[in-house]
Amino acid sequence: MVELRKVSFRYGSEDAQSNTENSLTDIDLTVQSGEFVLLTGPSGCGKTTVLRLINGLIPHFYPGTVEGDVFIDGESANKRELYETALSVGTVFQNPHSQFYNVDTTGELAFGCENRGLSEKEIYSRIDDTVCRFHIEKLMDRNIFRLSDGEKQKIACASVDVAGTDIILLDEPSANLDHEATLALRELIQCWRTQGKTIIAAEHRIAWLWELIDRVVILRNGRIVRELSGKEKNVLKQDELTALGLRSLHIEGPDDIDLPVITEADDPIILRDFYLRYSDADHPVVDIKTLRLASRRITAITGPNGAGKTSFLNCLCGLEKRCRGTIEYRGKRYDRKARQKLCFMVMQDAGNQLFTESVLEEVLISMPGNKSDDKKQAIRILRKLDLDSFRDRHPQSLSGGQKQRLAIACALASGREILLLDEPTSGLDHAHMMETAALLKQLEEMGTTILVITHDSELIRACCSRKLSFSVK
Amino acid sequence: MDYSSEQSQQKRRGFLDPRTKLAVTLVLAVFVMGGLGGDQLRYIKGVLSALPFLLLLTERQWRRFVRGAAMLAAGYGLLLAMPYLSGILNYLALFCGGILTRFAVTVVMGEYLIATTSVSEFISAMERLRVPQSLTIPMSVMFRLFPTIGAEWRSIRKAMLMRGIRLGGTKTGQMLEYQLVPMMTSTVRIGEELSASALTRGLGGSTRRTNICLIGLRIQDYVLLAGCLFTVIVWLLELCGMKLW
Repeated sequence: MVELRKVSFRYGSEDAQSNTENSLTDIDLTVQSGEFVLLTGPSGCGKTTVLRLINGLIPHFYPGTVEGDVFIDGESANKRELYETALSVGTVFQNPHSQFYNVDTTGELAFGCENRGLSEKEIYSRIDDTVCRFHIEKLMDRNIFRLSDGEKQKIACASVDVAGTDIILLDEPSANLDHEATLALRELIQCWRTQGKTIIAAEHRIAWLWELIDRVVILRNGRIVRELSGKEKNVLKQDELTALGLRSLHIEGPDDIDLPVITEADDPIILRDFYLRYSDADHPVVDIKTLRLASRRITAITGPNGAGKTSFLNCLCGLEKRCRGTIEYRGKRYDRKARQKLCFMVMQDAGNQLFTESVLEEVLISMPGNKSDDKKQAIRILRKLDLDSFRDRHPQSLSGGQKQRLAIACALASGREILLLDEPTSGLDHAHMMETAALLKQLEEMGTTILVITHDSELIRACCSRKLSFSVK
Repeated sequence: MDYSSEQSQQKRRGFLDPRTKLAVTLVLAVFVMGGLGGDQLRYIKGVLSALPFLLLLTERQWRRFVRGAAMLAAGYGLLLAMPYLSGILNYLALFCGGILTRFAVTVVMGEYLIATTSVSEFISAMERLRVPQSLTIPMSVMFRLFPTIGAEWRSIRKAMLMRGIRLGGTKTGQMLEYQLVPMMTSTVRIGEELSASALTRGLGGSTRRTNICLIGLRIQDYVLLAGCLFTVIVWLLELCGMKLW
């Protein structure tokens, strides 16, 4: 059983001047053994902070001021050491790239048990049991760096399962997953349900686990604003959810949405001879003889993890040296080098493409020439994207969504006509997703051609009018 | 399909114990790369230099083998070509050739060490050497962090190319700074997330850790360790002015 009694929390060291706002205020939450509770709410509402209080990372790893009490199975969590809490609480984190300690999958599964000093024999039998129940024989004895995101998340769940904790926390586990991988994750959770585990999940994408949960807790600005029991949640209407800032309840894969790749009326971009094979793979990851895409439209690029969507975009914008394809755009032919000046890609982790010390400078270095009115033009672009008030901030101090907007601002400043985006809305709440959609619409009206890789059916519904599906060969 | 982790773990057992790999790497670094020891050690060094390549072959690391061999061949090629070159080219060949021939072998051994040692094998070996946890844990995180940092580095390079920041462009001077700014932010973030995840799984507890990986010294380890010891002894004798051959 997990109990939070009148808990308030503020990040930052205790003696620091307390000008920061509370991350959580007066949280009262009791989760019974065997219950499955969903925590949801807009970005920054405090979901992750609640989980950190339960697994002990607050206050032992992330310092701050805690008021009130957190009890796990009747014992106060603040006073327990992290490794003691680890005996009863296991966590699956959001980022599949940075939650593994080992490089090989088997070692990773054993890790939690090794830390508690269980005997080798016991660990082996626990691993075999988990592998069998989760059907992950194919993932064993593999290098974690070679797994897809979906496979990594399965290993993360499996390692929590091997550790055998009674309480399992999930911190946006589906943020980076495609539709199929998300449904596979749901099966693993169902497996835990039948074992009577206590599960607390923080999620934006609520549709895939809506049927499984016992209770929903909705947070906003660090407070619990609504709690719905099983019966109440089943009669909840979609527009009420939208009013609460939540995502859709409708489980819909991108493949269920029917959109053309291109129509007669569209001005086509013609791609020729796009071929790419990695030296350690049997099959080419990109293999396109000719393909016509719609210019001046928003095209969704969908397909499972590992189908070659990102590789395709790399080829298209000319970053992949081994790909020799050409495109024909508005009557002109572009080879690889020329495409580098035609296309702009907003990467999944937009922070990795911002280099300078201030937001304004970031836009300035994107301007093609050195003209005297550059600065005015840059400010105009920032204003258009609602970034004007951050002009002097360091780009790395912005939030994820803001970094993305800034990257788009740079694309606008560079005057490139084709904009490519890789998963722009993973981990975004409803409001931010809609903002991104609106921005893309705005760019489309200005005449930009937009290709966007996404698993997010809501984004496709909100702004895409063309769709290109990839499949695994 | 019944999976047995114990059996597969036995199948995956490496040819050498991590401790042996560390000892060989150290000896190579000191004597081949560092150039310690005089004439007496010439032949021993020759044998030592061949070692990492043989080891890569036993573990079927073909690609690393070819890459390492190419590095070494390029080095000797430059040294052979040097007498025929003149002026600055001569110095350049000497410089590059010297560095390549000295470093290649140790680099190949380091690669072998990292590629064939799992994190848990490394921790286990360190525990048997009685190295305290406060040293072992940060070192083992390195194993994990290096490939991750490599991936970030490549992704940032790609981003710079896309933004039009390249050698010879207008921003050549700022390239290093541009590379480092996002690099530092993301390395700190990844390091933090890795530690948080490891801590919630009980790393750093007071109980003695167990390990499912199989390590232990076997005949091939003893042979190589004896070889390392022999090298050190020959060197010490040489220091004392004794001539063996």
